[in-house]
Amino acid sequence: MRTFFLGLALATSSALAQGSDDLDALQLADQAQIPVASASDWHSFVEVALGQAATPHGPTLAGQRLSFDLQFDQRFAPEWRAVFSDRLDLNRQQQPGQASVDKDVNTIRDAYLSWQPQAHQLLDAGRINVPYGAASGYNPSDYFRDYAVRSAVSVDPSSLKKNRMGSVMLRGQQLWDSGSLTALYSPQLAQQANAGSYHPDLGATNAQDRWLIAYSQKLPSSMAGQLTPQWLLQGGAHTHPQIGMNLSALLNDASVAYLEYSGGRSGSMLSQALQGKDDTVFRNRLASGITYTAANKLSLTLEYEYNGSALDDQAWDALRKGIKQGAPLPYLQYRQWQQNQQELATRQEVFVYASWPDALLQHLDLSAMQKLNLADHSRLYWLEARYHLEKLDLALQWQRNSGEASSAYGAALQKYSWQAQLRVYF
Amino acid sequence: MKNFRLLFTMAALSLSLALPSGSALAAPPDAQSILAASDAVRNPDFPFGLTTTLIEYRNGKQTDSSTLAVYSKADTQNGQFRNLIRFVAPARDANKLMLKNGNDLWFYDPANKASIRISPQQRLLGQAANGDVVTVNLAKDYQASLLAEEETQDGERQTKQSYKLALAAITPDVTYHHIELWIDRSNNHPIKARYYTESARLLKTAYFRHYQKQLGQERPTETVIIDGLDPQWVTVLRLSDYAKREVPDAWLQRDYLSRFKPD
Repeated sequence: MRTFFLGLALATSSALAQGSDDLDALQLADQAQIPVASASDWHSFVEVALGQAATPHGPTLAGQRLSFDLQFDQRFAPEWRAVFSDRLDLNRQQQPGQASVDKDVNTIRDAYLSWQPQAHQLLDAGRINVPYGAASGYNPSDYFRDYAVRSAVSVDPSSLKKNRMGSVMLRGQQLWDSGSLTALYSPQLAQQANAGSYHPDLGATNAQDRWLIAYSQKLPSSMAGQLTPQWLLQGGAHTHPQIGMNLSALLNDASVAYLEYSGGRSGSMLSQALQGKDDTVFRNRLASGITYTAANKLSLTLEYEYNGSALDDQAWDALRKGIKQGAPLPYLQYRQWQQNQQELATRQEVFVYASWPDALLQHLDLSAMQKLNLADHSRLYWLEARYHLEKLDLALQWQRNSGEASSAYGAALQKYSWQAQLRVYF
Repeated sequence: MKNFRLLFTMAALSLSLALPSGSALAAPPDAQSILAASDAVRNPDFPFGLTTTLIEYRNGKQTDSSTLAVYSKADTQNGQFRNLIRFVAPARDANKLMLKNGNDLWFYDPANKASIRISPQQRLLGQAANGDVVTVNLAKDYQASLLAEEETQDGERQTKQSYKLALAAITPDVTYHHIELWIDRSNNHPIKARYYTESARLLKTAYFRHYQKQLGQERPTETVIIDGLDPQWVTVLRLSDYAKREVPDAWLQRDYLSRFKPD
């Protein structure tokens, strides 16, 4: 009986406390000042960055950067839309006791017109960034990424996808309720890339005729929920057509799995980089992973990456041994080509990414990334802490490349680097 | 005979006790119908758009705010709403999009043009779950039962006669496992709700208040959300700019997200 009354008293006091909390909250809401915000066609920010990088055996480099980032997207007539997106990086780098080296780089990401004559039909013309792919770290079906990055301000994959040049193209899209068909043609407009600070650099993005067809169709609902695979067919001058596929599925309330694939006849990366003998066969590339999100918002992504056109373990060792034997040129040519293509250096890698918004305290976002090369076990580590206020971001980034001197990540000029950033939004 | 009389008297007495008198003679309305009527108060029966402004408070101090433009359209197959959400403010999130069709969730960032599938647990806002800012027909996802008819205080601190409903999830696509919902007996206005986990832990309490005439009838223009664990964590959702907006079905898919540019 005593227990009953005790329980009753506890339940009553809990209900009373809840009622009092509710009243306090409603009173607070009564005084809420609701800000008026309306959508804008302009989106821009200025970023200042200071950093240092340690080279393997040489001096420490100090760097400063001032960046202007602009996105403009306006519907200027019912059927017409203009899109322009650009970034200017003003870089300055210094070695101890030496004069500073300036390097300014402008990147035109988008500059195109879009015409929508009907709700289900669109036609675009101009410079368009078209990043395809469902994976996070490596996107074999992202066919327009080669030579597109002019200024890499971060190794974060989402930064590399964002800060790159679009290709000049004509693109059409037909939509229906459960899917769409896209076709694009990107012509050859120049033959040589141009690293000039303000050059449009069409030789980097439009060095050959290319085309792509993308088809999406939602499948009937299944145990895996809604599935909408995206099929791609890409080709162009001097290349064999490549088939691509992107698929993602919800495993449960907290997990998403994805698969990205590209396959087709092609030469090995080594033969393409060194312009060696034709070794064309059917080659596969893929990336597959899972993203899990915990109740506290922490998201973890684990991704397996495979590139069938890269060197296998033995060939990679042989190429690296060439440096010790006084023939470094093949290695350097291969690495240069691989980096411009944003490809894996060897057959297999593992990518891990963690992001934790509002970590430990509100408005503090923590991110961490690790890339592991499975051939030479070299690694890339990257950490970022970003604290954001209403129109300000403060970020601290740290990066480390580990591994032997000629390994996939150990060969980087910077062993360690850190960068502090201040970003102001307008 | 004596026994028969006694039996008759008892039967008559029990009947008189069981049957309410006067106007209450009508059978109480079906709980699912009450829930559907309450859905109709919150949601127009045609495609529409509105602006949702969220302000978050911790310990009495404003800590965050964001503005979203929400476009909602009922799926002709299952009657549930499909929602397209455009972030308007803060500036760092401007023009990001979220497409929600049940558990089919896509996030689009115009900066890197990536359309990424996300899980329901991947919350994009502070305290509010993705399911809190979208239009939902609860009667499509929950089985309602009438728990009580009782007096309760609404968001304006007025005492109202209400139906207290227990809602149990009947589809896997829901944000909350079960809900207690109080609905005004006189006009089916939702008054407040308590949302629970599967283990019956209180996640949050919400008050629907500031009823105003929007798109032809009285609808709530503010929701006050109180965290279940930390009652000092309060989020105010102000709903404004209700407008009838036709969104073609073909726009409510991943492949259109990079194209979405409302007038």
